Amino acid sequence: MTTVARHKTARKRSEPADTRAAGRPGGRYGGRPPGEPRAIGWLYVLPALLVYGGFLLWPLIRGAQFSLYDWDGLGTAEWAGLSNYTSTWTDPALRGAFGHLLVLIVFYSVFPCCIAFVLVGAMSRTKIRGLVFFRTVLFLPQVIAMVAVAVAWRWVYSEDGPINTVLGWLHSAGLPDWRHGWLGDFTFALPAVGLVGTWVGIGLALVLFLAGVQKIPRELYEAARIDGAGAVREFLTVTLPALRRELAVALTLTTIMAIRNFDLIYMATEGGPGDATKVPAYEVYNRTFNTGEVGLGCAIGVTLAVLAFAVTAGIGRLVEGKDA
Amino acid sequence: MPALMRRGAVATAAALVTALAAACAPGGSSDKPADKAPAAVSTDVAGAGNVTLTVWDQEVQGGMKEQIETLNKRFEAKYPNVKINRVSRSFSDLQKTLRLALSGGNPPDVVEANQGYAAMAQFVKAGMLLPLDSYDQVYGWKKRFPKGLMDLNSVTDDGKLIGSGKLYGVSLNGEIVGLYYNKEKLAKLGIQPPKTWAEFEQALATAKNKGEVPVAFGNVEKLPAMQLYGLLQDGLTDKESVRKLVFGSGGSWSDGPNVQAAQRLSDWAKKGYLTKNANSIKWDDTPVNFAKGDGVFMFGGTWWAPDLNDRMKEKVGFMLPPASQAGAPVATMGGESLPWSITAKTKHPDVAAAYINFITSPEAMDVAVETGSLPVLPAPSKQPSAPLMKEVLTAWTELSKNDGTTPYIDYATPTFTDAFGGPLQELVAGKKSAEAVMKAAQDDYTAFQKKK
Amino acid sequence: MNPRGERIFNHALLAVFAVIAVFPMIGVVTQALKLPDDVDFSSFGTAWREGHFATYLRNSLIVTACTVVIAAILSIMAGYALGAMRFRGASALFLVFLAGLTIPTEAVVVPLYFDLRSMGLDNTYAGLILPQVAMSVAFGTFWMRAYFRSIPPSLLEAARIDGASSWTTLWRVLVPIGRPAILTMLLLTTMWTWNEFLLPLVIINSDEALRTAPLGLSFFQGTHKTDYSLLMAGALIIAAPIVIVYVFLQRQFIAGMLSGAIKE
Repeated sequence: MTTVARHKTARKRSEPADTRAAGRPGGRYGGRPPGEPRAIGWLYVLPALLVYGGFLLWPLIRGAQFSLYDWDGLGTAEWAGLSNYTSTWTDPALRGAFGHLLVLIVFYSVFPCCIAFVLVGAMSRTKIRGLVFFRTVLFLPQVIAMVAVAVAWRWVYSEDGPINTVLGWLHSAGLPDWRHGWLGDFTFALPAVGLVGTWVGIGLALVLFLAGVQKIPRELYEAARIDGAGAVREFLTVTLPALRRELAVALTLTTIMAIRNFDLIYMATEGGPGDATKVPAYEVYNRTFNTGEVGLGCAIGVTLAVLAFAVTAGIGRLVEGKDA
Repeated sequence: MPALMRRGAVATAAALVTALAAACAPGGSSDKPADKAPAAVSTDVAGAGNVTLTVWDQEVQGGMKEQIETLNKRFEAKYPNVKINRVSRSFSDLQKTLRLALSGGNPPDVVEANQGYAAMAQFVKAGMLLPLDSYDQVYGWKKRFPKGLMDLNSVTDDGKLIGSGKLYGVSLNGEIVGLYYNKEKLAKLGIQPPKTWAEFEQALATAKNKGEVPVAFGNVEKLPAMQLYGLLQDGLTDKESVRKLVFGSGGSWSDGPNVQAAQRLSDWAKKGYLTKNANSIKWDDTPVNFAKGDGVFMFGGTWWAPDLNDRMKEKVGFMLPPASQAGAPVATMGGESLPWSITAKTKHPDVAAAYINFITSPEAMDVAVETGSLPVLPAPSKQPSAPLMKEVLTAWTELSKNDGTTPYIDYATPTFTDAFGGPLQELVAGKKSAEAVMKAAQDDYTAFQKKK
Repeated sequence: MNPRGERIFNHALLAVFAVIAVFPMIGVVTQALKLPDDVDFSSFGTAWREGHFATYLRNSLIVTACTVVIAAILSIMAGYALGAMRFRGASALFLVFLAGLTIPTEAVVVPLYFDLRSMGLDNTYAGLILPQVAMSVAFGTFWMRAYFRSIPPSLLEAARIDGASSWTTLWRVLVPIGRPAILTMLLLTTMWTWNEFLLPLVIINSDEALRTAPLGLSFFQGTHKTDYSLLMAGALIIAAPIVIVYVFLQRQFIAGMLSGAIKE
């Protein structure tokens, strides 16, 4: 009760300000109750802004600043200009890391979207029973801590893991011996890591596209069928255009996942063998804390932030063909 | 959303630039911790009041763990006012976290900081470790330890030269990298423990022909291949040039014998002498596999001996690596275990020093022997009982007599594990030639020497 | 293909992918329980004791609860102001928050470490909570703003006529009816905070007693290497809390994760 009373008096006292404000074109919803000073919006935002500014924006700024120095993290820093950024291209290991990122984007993003598209294309002609169940299961990999996912897949790829076991059976059935130490093999380590990403991404893409397909009016399909369209043409003329928005979202989310790929690499390969699975996200940590190149680590971090931003802004534009 | 986000980016970028101009350079001063006058050192631990000493070690395996636990218990019993807060993690986890912790606000008091330019030298340069010279004058470590071992734990203030400057740590255990062999398998194959590299090559061929894994090898961490390379290098060149090369006072990694060593490793991999898929097998799993019978030989440090002794009993033997010719003195990597150092920010340097003195005392050497480890100095009153530990001690004594220890290869530069170990993995996988690998090593080495 | 065959085919296809999605998890369970030869829960006991998972789960719980609650309060307030009020600089503010949605942890973790360290916040709960509140607030503000914009103006009008201040309106009227949107936000920030690995890895670098569950699993893997039965038990222990919540509230999870990027 007392609170309400207090607010009432407050309202009375600031009556004039309120009348002044009422004359203006009020907020979109005229949301500001009378008696609240204009700046109150800032008061509401302030706590969030302080934490956000202090612990996310400020570190980003500091990161950009560190990236301009040559610093081992222990002693004094020396101004380095943009040399850390040029290093990201001239250092073959780092160039390799960005190259691996491109490969991983294909595995994390392109593969899941393509596979999910084909699946959904095949399924769009019928109603799915038990959709909730399938959705829950398919989406599951998204919610499990990547650290745990990495432990599980290290077992899948291990010497005596299920993949090598099956290949062992095939071998004893007369086929060549295809067994490998997958995560320690120069040829297969990167695709092996990539497949984990495909596995995580498929569910996301499938669930997104299934949801999209359910929203497509049935009449469109019926019309297409009356026109004698087969599955392929139906997919191209009805399903694909209707799912552009979902495709953009799926590509964005999965590409960002590929960019932020630290946990899996750290747990499963630590960038090895050699440099075969080094990725920028891992190099941020590795260069900063293992080899003492803090400036370079920050430069990679800033580059990643720019990349993530460009991807978010770019994919939507590309796929949807316009500014959303 | 994209349009909005672009505008957000412009606004954010503008804010960034403004703030950048105002911010100051990262990194504090690199003040060196002051060296205490010997007279100011207090050896009165009991009178130091209640102290909790946080100690980071990497002794997680069998006997080594027991050894340090026993010593800690005895120290606590001797000084009931001191509590040891022991934090232990595997060697590679320690390497990954020590740098972060040392530069953190509240570092541990005593740490095992690895020798070399990748660790100790950098920490010294940044003023994170306490020089121990005045403590040495009080406790007389330099009188107990041979100069060669003290030098390994000494660095100049600027971190540029290992082997001179101030003392930053004392070690408890001796260690060498040698050759383990499975006695049962040797008997079955009808071969004797090889005395020379030529005999060894023959033994490998025999083992391979009989369907055995000649050399148990796991190389996820890149360091194992560097140790294997180091052994081969020791067999092909003299110890002085290896020492000079690693500590940065002469020589090149692309010199003839150094390339030959890589070539031999490459040949072994090609001939199938090493465990298949070695690059995906963890280092610490190698002795486990070896004990299970996967491997006739295994190169490895004496730090594995207590554990292997438990697992294999009299089935396992240990010897120094083969010699270049019969009877010639052998050199191999090793010397002493990770030294115990005091951090610059500790509040109890005197207690920490007393602790280090205690765990490297003659009594501690006895404890090392009792728990099946190799003490760095001869134990005054104990002798090892297990056959394997006797062989380890014999090898160690012989090597010390010949002054045959060479430094570990990874001491050479802070980035050597990646810069040389990575290419070595490729060599093992048959993806890179010996020349290319050694060129990569030399490139990293040159870059570091230039920066120094 | 006839419609019926097509329907069977489609469901079979979905089933195959569902199996693929859970396959490694099935492996995890069989390895942890040492199936099929045995049903043995001892791995869990051993992992629980040797991995100190009781401590680590408790730490994760503390960090996650604090992060989520603080972030939710701040996001609701900021989202309310940006979604239902009009004031100078509101749209610029919103853009600043929006930009935060794409900032990867990798870009800020290094400077965060050095700055938190100089504030004495490394190896503290606060050092984990504050940065994660900041990350959550970027999404939360964005998410809550969308909710507050969807509120019919008449509702705000009615509250105002009743004489309620903006503060009372927010907490007494808008928050109660906005429970679904808030629940989704809570779930997502819970999941992100619980699963976060890089930040604790760097911030909790010396005090083992403060490790979060994922960090604990990482060090557990460091000591147990290839003892997959133990490792899998550990992985199950740290993943289970989120998976259980997910199974019951999957609709909110999925809706949040998918629409987070679609809205606006």
